[in-house]
Amino acid sequence: MSTMTVKVRVWRQPSPDQEGRLVDYAVDNVVADMSFVEMIDVLNEQLVAKGEDTVAFDSDCREGICGSCGCVVNGVPHGPGTGKTACQLFMRAFTDGDTLVVEPFRAKAFPVLKDLCVDRGAFDRIIAAGGYISANTGAAQDGNQMLIGKDIAEKAFDAAACIGCGACVAACKNASAVLFVSAKVAHLSYLPQGQPERTRRVVRMVEQMEKEGFGACSNEGECEAVCPKEISTLHIQILQRDYLRAVLRGA
Amino acid sequence: MKRILALLSSDIGRKALMGLTGLLMIGFLIMHMAANLLVPFSKEAYNAYSHTLTSSPQIYLITLVELALLALFAGHFVTGIVVTLKNWGARPVAYQRKDPAGGPSRKSLASSTMIYTGLVMLAFVPLHLATFKYGTVYEVATPTGEVRDLYRLAIEVFRNPLQSAWYLIALALLGAHAWHGFGSGFESLGVAHKVGLRRFGQALAVILMLGFMVVPVYVLLGGGAS
Ligand code: SF4
Ligand code: FES
Repeated sequence: MSTMTVKVRVWRQPSPDQEGRLVDYAVDNVVADMSFVEMIDVLNEQLVAKGEDTVAFDSDCREGICGSCGCVVNGVPHGPGTGKTACQLFMRAFTDGDTLVVEPFRAKAFPVLKDLCVDRGAFDRIIAAGGYISANTGAAQDGNQMLIGKDIAEKAFDAAACIGCGACVAACKNASAVLFVSAKVAHLSYLPQGQPERTRRVVRMVEQMEKEGFGACSNEGECEAVCPKEISTLHIQILQRDYLRAVLRGA
Repeated sequence: MKRILALLSSDIGRKALMGLTGLLMIGFLIMHMAANLLVPFSKEAYNAYSHTLTSSPQIYLITLVELALLALFAGHFVTGIVVTLKNWGARPVAYQRKDPAGGPSRKSLASSTMIYTGLVMLAFVPLHLATFKYGTVYEVATPTGEVRDLYRLAIEVFRNPLQSAWYLIALALLGAHAWHGFGSGFESLGVAHKVGLRRFGQALAVILMLGFMVVPVYVLLGGGAS
């Protein structure tokens, strides 16, 4: 199998309060079928062999479903191409000798912990503020007891596909979390189970989003373009309508 | 009042207000532009129109509308500046490399420069009012009595190529601002993004820009000479 060499300019930052900078490495023995994170594994093996500190990055499932991985590759969150996470970005997207500029997702609300690892706890706190339904536990009721139209189920599924990776925030010029929050609000707003807490949910989640220091939505749609789950900005209007209605009614 | 304050406590609320005030101002601009189009056709009709607007007995109504416009303008630029400063603060460390994402993104030169085109409008509007509304008052006799000759002032102002150039530049920037602002305004109010609505807004922005450019271009080409 033919291999290639790529140049990687990767953000190295030892700790949250130390200055970071881009450092150049040449990574040999890269195979086209490797994913981007596997290429970073290869780089780290080289660094270990030289006795240097490895590049810290997040990954878990490595099959595009958990939302752990993520960095900005050549100026685009999750790198070139659509509908994929960094672990599903394959090195065949690049050619021998290419330079890859690799940076962490940048936002005030996502402080860098080390190198490419950022703290996305802000997302967890937004979910904890209201992104759930309260339901009695016990045996699941019969699926056909609550009829939900196919079109509504599809919309809810589309929104529920969000894996919380944070690429939308990383892509937005305002570091806005509106696409993520809209997905998490809308998938419950579409369904009957989401109705009892609908008003309270949206108000609390928006308040938490404000506290975390994300920016506002400029309706540019960069978020949708980089979202690995291709979450549509149409869900944003559900968020806005639910929120405006709640606030104007004095909730 | 409490609800308005609650609305202003979040970006979603602030942006909704920004969208609403912007769209209402576009509504006003459509009327303003339509009236300007009288200039090349009839000096009398144009002066009569402006006279109707500024003469009693409806003067209190006009004052009310003017105050409302002032409130829209102030509300729009205050929310605009507040939101922009907060947005800038939301990413303290800039990317070393950041590329447009392409695909479904609607990012454009217009959408990326809203604060700058907006700030030019912030400078333009007071200057424009000083030049025309509070500018030299010429009078002209008509069958129904003396009226202000706003037409003469317009011709005089745009005879000055520097004034005309400044107006043409400001109008181009206004067009760019409305190009993104119309569709974005509706989206901020919770109206789902539709390509048709966005295109309509872009067409409207171009029509507004070209419509307002008619008067300075007409004068530069020698119109209103006599
Ligand atoms: S909306 Fe898309 S980009 Fe944003 S967190 Fe969810 S999956 Fe990631
Ligand atoms: S590692 Fe799970 S999505 Fe990439």
